[in-house]
Amino acid sequence: MASIQLDGLSFRYPGAEEYTLAPLSLNVPDGTAFALLGASGAGKTTLLNLLSGLLAPTSGRIFFGDDDVSYVAGRQRNVAQVFQFPVLYESLSVAENLAFPLRARKFDPLWIDERVRHIAADLAITEQLPFVAADLSLFQKQLVAIGRALVRPDVSVVLLDEPLTAVEPRMKWRLRQTLRRVQEELAVTMIYVTHDQTEALTFADQVAVMADGGLLQVGTPEQIYATPSCEFVGYFIGSPGMNFVDIERLESSLEVSVGASRVGFRPEWALLKPQGQGQLAGTVESIQLAGTDSGAATGVVRLDTAAGRVAVRGKLNVAVGDHVGIELRQHLCFSAQGDLVTAEYD
Amino acid sequence: MTKPYNNKAWLGVLPVLLIVAFSGVVPLMTVVNYSVQDILDFNSRFFVGFQWYSETLQDPRFVEAFVRQLGFSASVLIIEIPLGLMLARGMPREGISASLMLVLLAIPLLIPWNVVGTIWQLYARSDIGLLGVTLNALGLGFNYTANPLHAWITLLAMDIWHWTSLVALLAFAGLTSVPAAYYQAAELDGASKWQVFRYVELPRLKGVLVIAVLLRLMDSFMIYTEPFVLTGGGPGNATTFLSQHLATMAVGQFDLGPAAAFSVIYFLFILLFCWVFYSSVVREND
Repeated sequence: MASIQLDGLSFRYPGAEEYTLAPLSLNVPDGTAFALLGASGAGKTTLLNLLSGLLAPTSGRIFFGDDDVSYVAGRQRNVAQVFQFPVLYESLSVAENLAFPLRARKFDPLWIDERVRHIAADLAITEQLPFVAADLSLFQKQLVAIGRALVRPDVSVVLLDEPLTAVEPRMKWRLRQTLRRVQEELAVTMIYVTHDQTEALTFADQVAVMADGGLLQVGTPEQIYATPSCEFVGYFIGSPGMNFVDIERLESSLEVSVGASRVGFRPEWALLKPQGQGQLAGTVESIQLAGTDSGAATGVVRLDTAAGRVAVRGKLNVAVGDHVGIELRQHLCFSAQGDLVTAEYD
Repeated sequence: MTKPYNNKAWLGVLPVLLIVAFSGVVPLMTVVNYSVQDILDFNSRFFVGFQWYSETLQDPRFVEAFVRQLGFSASVLIIEIPLGLMLARGMPREGISASLMLVLLAIPLLIPWNVVGTIWQLYARSDIGLLGVTLNALGLGFNYTANPLHAWITLLAMDIWHWTSLVALLAFAGLTSVPAAYYQAAELDGASKWQVFRYVELPRLKGVLVIAVLLRLMDSFMIYTEPFVLTGGGPGNATTFLSQHLATMAVGQFDLGPAAAFSVIYFLFILLFCWVFYSSVVREND
């Protein structure tokens, strides 16, 4: 195991004008479950390929622990990778698949046997050990692929490239739980690439949000949710995302920081009030039921206001067409460029 | 629940059945018919049962041709399959160079059999052929018209030149279906080059290799034109393979009965071999 340090790392395809990955620095502490979250084209996969040694950086350095591995070939890096679809040696049995990386590195055969059993037990695939990999279900295959990535005790980092893509929806949750449990048990450093915020926020200790080949914000899921560093992160994380309104459109004053031009608030940070109260006036456009809270229906209300459309989460005590006031119990301030200015809470 | 039957559907199959019958079944049955009769002229024919079969199987010339044929086909497979695989693995996977290689590989396949025979017949001649003269200049005393070993080597070289491309193209098609992630995973696992071939590529090449082996086996087992043009079966009978022996009997000596029996044996052997090979390989998958 090792911590991972990226130092001004960038990548540009030879001859290309723009960086596929703009210079970025990042520190992933040893034993962390780390998620790289971003839409497609954000540079996540490029970063992953740089980590696995498939690509060589245009500039910058990669450290695994104290070792500079920037230009070291993949097989010498001690990384393991799980791909979008299960990549196995399909003609070999599950046990042989799990043992493969260990045998290639000439570990003691008796120890390999023990280790394979241990990992298989961890992933609950002991019964599948004698089967040929090609005969397993997609879900089991991906479990074996994860097992093969975890089997080496000396692995510095396990890279997961959207590992749940091929798994059917009802199994995704189970696989993610398994992954998380094993990660904690073995204290492996894991870097999990995904475009799915739910996956990222529920899996990771730390999340890095990427867009356009750059790093926007790194933090715990709570930090990223509560204090997005810019409007993009605020909008990208959360469902529905953060609301943003121009300060001059607010009807009554709100404590804002110097230099702020917009305020942002999460749907659950606002309360619906009778008309005339609160900082915004709006008309209810649609109501989406999500559940109940002590007998009262709760969900998301979308409203049309002078500052644009906003979403408010809470009790559904309004009807479509109602004119209501919106009170911001909590908000963040953003500059005209969309960056977080400072956090001021009521 | 009884399954509904629609017997009218058979009418739809009828044209195909007729075509297959007239192009395949009837000619084959004609041969079977000849093989159990002694035909002297249009009006005098006698039923002889399996006499031609037993005579053919006991004919030393048949047995010799058969053994030669087995040796030739085995050599062809042993050389062409690994060589084709190596070629395919060494080829660039994409870009202009890949296209160029594909075109180059396809060229021998586009040349008619008798032209290939003629090319090599001239190329290997010890008096005017580039290859023959060069080998002789090196002091090897090469002469495929007199030396049986030289004739065999020339024939094998010709077949390899002509058909290795087919194996390479099939294997290449199989290799391009291996997703890049498999190579990446093997690299990270620390797999050796041999392991990558054995556990990543070979399992995915199995299907095309079965096809390649079957095609090359059937083709080489029926080889006729090239040795006919190159050596005419000689020197002596050194390169007289089954089909040439058959042609001598049927067309040269007009022994239709024995030739027909020979054909049936020949056909059944290829059928049997392909069936055994295919079912043994495919059964492993189940």
